[in-house]
Amino acid sequence: MTEIIHLDNASIYQKENLVLNRISLTVNEGEFLYLIGKTGSGKSSLLKTLYAELPLKDGIGVVAGYDLVKIRNREIPYLRRKLGIVFQDFQLLSDRSISENLMFVMKATGWKEKQKMIDRTEELLKLIGIPTKGYKMPHQLSGGEQQRVGVARALINHPPIILADEPTGNLDPESSEGILSLLHEISKTGVGVVMATHNYGLIQKFPGRIVRIDAGQLSEETPVFMNEA
Amino acid sequence: MARQEEIYTRRRLRSSYLTSVISITLVLFMLGLLGFVLIYARSLTDHLRENIGFTIYLKKNAREASILKFQKSLDASDFVRTTTYISADEAASQIKKELGEDFIGFVGYNPLYPSIEARLKSEYTQLDSIQNIEKLILADELVSEIDYQRDLIGEINSNMHRISIILLGFAVLLLFVSIGLINNTIRLSVYSKRFIIRSMMLIGATQGFIRKPFIFKGMLHGILSAFIASAMLELLIYFASKEIPELDALHNSTYLTILFGVVLFLGIIITGLANYMAVRKYLKMKIDNLYL
Repeated sequence: MTEIIHLDNASIYQKENLVLNRISLTVNEGEFLYLIGKTGSGKSSLLKTLYAELPLKDGIGVVAGYDLVKIRNREIPYLRRKLGIVFQDFQLLSDRSISENLMFVMKATGWKEKQKMIDRTEELLKLIGIPTKGYKMPHQLSGGEQQRVGVARALINHPPIILADEPTGNLDPESSEGILSLLHEISKTGVGVVMATHNYGLIQKFPGRIVRIDAGQLSEETPVFMNEA
Repeated sequence: MARQEEIYTRRRLRSSYLTSVISITLVLFMLGLLGFVLIYARSLTDHLRENIGFTIYLKKNAREASILKFQKSLDASDFVRTTTYISADEAASQIKKELGEDFIGFVGYNPLYPSIEARLKSEYTQLDSIQNIEKLILADELVSEIDYQRDLIGEINSNMHRISIILLGFAVLLLFVSIGLINNTIRLSVYSKRFIIRSMMLIGATQGFIRKPFIFKGMLHGILSAFIASAMLELLIYFASKEIPELDALHNSTYLTILFGVVLFLGIIITGLANYMAVRKYLKMKIDNLYL
């Protein structure tokens, strides 16, 4: 299995404050990993470090072939093209339609041929279950649908891994389940998923590898299923 | 419903662009207006300088042919704009007309000298230049003496120098104020799009790709504003000339064309740079700071 994320003895800082101390983590292709922990424990900081929003100062960190310690500012966009990032607040461009949102990402990441862009947009809208809503503006969709578009956007460039920062945090239980189900389907195609969440109910429904963040350290947990408890 | 929302969003965007264009236009108009005042002040100075009286009195016995040759040589020189030859007889008849009586009959002879009334080019009307010209002309054996108002020239030059410095100082100040105002307008407009910039960064858009549309649109607004400001200035000049016909004498098309060029240049450069700086700020900002 190909290793997509490799952290070894990595220390993660928010400005000058040490958030995670000498942590190690490996995520492989097709793996579904939940990051759990209390608010402020460092889940988001870890994800931000993985997509180079926060610099990695100590230790070893390699994501999709990019060395997080040595990465230059101008290389960051190319690292992010190899990752699919899904946010709690969707972060869709509010001034354009859903299709335009997806096509914009394609243009921004170097796609040139219009027909290929149209085909990929249709393919993704079909995959997330809203094939006929491409013309709508983001605010005309429900939260669940907007987050599906967020997932579609993350998948545009066939990334080997998706980083999702509490993607169900703003959604009702039914929509949350829809998103989780979608992410699990995607993971079955060989795409790794790292998802920060508080929603333990969903973890039980959609099992995966669980890593808990507590007191600046990571620890693996064995999933406990409702019917086992 | 969807169409209505789209129309609403487009209208909102258009209104934000309109506000930005209006603000930039007004600032460029103010800059252009100051430029216009500077140009007309300069034209007025030139006009005054070029009409300073510079009379060359010739010797009484000078022959007309020599005088005309001398006048030609003056016309051909770098420092003279126009010359008018006034013979002793012409001078006498002019004075006769002014006095209303025959002073020659009273004196018994014509005491006046033939003269050449010269008008100098404005760039040669500084006191030191005039003194050099005076020396040069006095060296000619035809010339008896030269008369001009030294005090007036000194006063005009020192006043114009003072006014030019004040106007230039004001222009520089206004330029800074303009840059500040345009910069603020653009910063507000970019601030409202800071989350879009952030989203673009997170999907892997390069900084150049994010910056390009902002700078391009900003420059387009700058061009549009410069054209509107120039049209407003043109209208102002038209109405001002209608009300004050004397202004036509100060009209300088070359300078006005340069002024419109400068307004256009400033419109493009200030908006382009302001957009570049404003976007750069958000490109460098950490995500958490966007919410502050």
